[in-house]
Amino acid sequence: MNQSRDDQYNEFVSLLGHCENRIRRFVRSLMIRGVEIDDVMQDVSLECWRKFESFSPACDESSNDEFVRWACVIARFKVLSRIRDASRERLVFRDELYDLLADQVLADQASHVTAKHLAHQRALESCLDRLPEDDRRLLLSVHVPGDSVAEIARQTGAKARRLYNRINALRGLMLDCVRSRLASE
Amino acid sequence: MSEKLRNQIFAALDGTIDAASFDALHRELETNAQSRELYLECVELFESLGEIKSTGPNLSVASNQVASFRSITVRRYALWFSAAVAVLLTCTAIAYALGRQTSNDRSIADRETVHQRSGSSEVNQLETMVAGHASLRRALDVHWADESTTYQAGDLIPEGRLSVDQGIIELDFFCGATVVAEGPAELEVHSDWELTCLSGRLRANVPPAARGFVINAAESKIVDLGTEFSLLVSKDSAQVEVIDGEVEIHQSSLNPERLTTGQQKWLNGIHQESTTIAEVASSAELEKRRADQLRAKLSKWLDATKQLSADPRLIAYYPIGSERTDKIQSDRRISNTAVTGKAGDGFLVGSVSQSQGRFGELSSGLEFDRPGSRVRVRLDGTFDAFTFVAWVKIDSLQHAYNALFMADGYENGEPHWQIDHEGKMMLSVMVDDTAEIMHYSSFEDAMVRGAGRHRIYRTPVIWDLSKSGRWMHLVAVFDPDGGTVRQYVDGIKVDESTIEPEWMVKQLHIGAAEIGNWGQPSRKTPGFAVRNLDGTIDELAVYNAALDDHKVLELYQAGRP
Repeated sequence: MNQSRDDQYNEFVSLLGHCENRIRRFVRSLMIRGVEIDDVMQDVSLECWRKFESFSPACDESSNDEFVRWACVIARFKVLSRIRDASRERLVFRDELYDLLADQVLADQASHVTAKHLAHQRALESCLDRLPEDDRRLLLSVHVPGDSVAEIARQTGAKARRLYNRINALRGLMLDCVRSRLASE
Repeated sequence: MSEKLRNQIFAALDGTIDAASFDALHRELETNAQSRELYLECVELFESLGEIKSTGPNLSVASNQVASFRSITVRRYALWFSAAVAVLLTCTAIAYALGRQTSNDRSIADRETVHQRSGSSEVNQLETMVAGHASLRRALDVHWADESTTYQAGDLIPEGRLSVDQGIIELDFFCGATVVAEGPAELEVHSDWELTCLSGRLRANVPPAARGFVINAAESKIVDLGTEFSLLVSKDSAQVEVIDGEVEIHQSSLNPERLTTGQQKWLNGIHQESTTIAEVASSAELEKRRADQLRAKLSKWLDATKQLSADPRLIAYYPIGSERTDKIQSDRRISNTAVTGKAGDGFLVGSVSQSQGRFGELSSGLEFDRPGSRVRVRLDGTFDAFTFVAWVKIDSLQHAYNALFMADGYENGEPHWQIDHEGKMMLSVMVDDTAEIMHYSSFEDAMVRGAGRHRIYRTPVIWDLSKSGRWMHLVAVFDPDGGTVRQYVDGIKVDESTIEPEWMVKQLHIGAAEIGNWGQPSRKTPGFAVRNLDGTIDELAVYNAALDDHKVLELYQAGRP
């Protein structure tokens, strides 16, 4: 190990920057309620940094993909201990399902993590693009700070419950659209 | 099925799923790899939509998709990195907050005033928006001017007119401001932050968080910059006085004027002889008066309980509110004070917690909010009729069925009194427990074996979220002789049904039974088995008689808080 700590740090930050959203999806799929996800992500990135010396990619070409897999293994245990701490929380996956999901995602990540991610994003953006403006706004409203279903309900006079149903319908539409685009690629 | 599963997953990711649906989802994911696949696709979709929002709502995502994605990523991390540096180098955990500014994981439930109405099987019907800008904290001797818009303490106040002929109301605006108004008064609530006073006297208390709270009066706008002022608006004059702090007064075409502690101003009309308007009760005085009033009502009720206990028609009577909280705590028991049955004391099981009854800290109540909580009783005998009377405060209806009073085995002639997740009160008595009846349960989405032949008498919806935390007087009467079932809320009959011959049962029993839960569920599915009441009960009476409308109203009047 002849790298200086600074070089290591730069490399780490760059990997984390490129891979954080993949790791985050992994964490989110194990923690159904996303409320504590930022805390967990912080724990995970700190732990990854502590253990970074043990990360040795086989080749530079695929170092991002390898980093994702490596970090997800760390994340898997971090999330588990978080869930155990929060055992009174209703909405958590119990052990068996937790392992099934983690295994399934890790298996999906066996190859081309980054390429798959980009393909998915491309597909989603072009699907979104086909939505009318107000549907797109509604669909994204739950994610946009400052916008909300309640706000749209107020502006348009529509019932909030109807809007929520509409959001779910739009989500279903997006799932189908993304799926068919990825299949035709 | 697939759409239902999808919607369950969405609700789970939004954080709005109820416990029963979550359990169903959990089972489905455990057993079905395809469902897990769908779940993971949904997570991907949620996270990706969350990232796309970072481009801002007005920025088109149509062109250069990949490029725009990269740039988002970079922008997001540019912020994040500087935070991460601090985190990583110092190994302290303070800086992730910066990353959070761009993070998108607040669930719908966290973001909005969406209250979860759990217990519903329809995931997309889970959320109920509660409309309101303020809640009515206290109402003292109030006569509402308009019969159609009356409120009780604890109610949410929506946008619109509030008129009181007499009495005092205290409103907690959601921005944090408190307004005490004395009748006759006419107010108009506009938002969490704004109110118009058309007439009446009021006093506004504005903590720092609510600075900027606006009261309109006499074509002027009074902006409170903190603490307290009072206002008197009559037909031809309006006067404002700052009790403590500072207000800003905007009148048309004039520069705003500031008033500070002790200063007064006439907003229009002729300056009349200087009356002091700071006479409107402060919150503290109001609280004292309300406490006095509660004490008076409590002592009236305590007298009433002594007479009630002597009623020979009682099977059991638990005036929980009259017992000392610490005594209930140490004995783990509530007394049956009915002259007829000393034996039927109730025993607390599990995590029943003692809380305040309907007369506030002066009285006790039992809270059944944890699944294991229950009070067990044993009431032996054969009865000719049932009347169940209870004072109940419901916080939420979490389960498919929420128990009030339930006989254990639900054998022939035994009663079940509960409220379903939609807010309908239900009374049923088993007719033939040997009958095998299969029926479709929408809650469980399956054919299930019924408990036997019985009929459930349901009222219209008597409870919704807007009544959360409000004390209600509930009565259910099973009257075989009269051939009817009657149910009442706050002394008013809400349902009357005929008992058809095939559902008639004349030999009634109770035996082992529970208050606030059900001890012997006949099916073990989550939606069915857990029935604890998320709420508080502070009085329960069971009569071997069918009380009439008049008597029910009398009981309500005697026990009103």
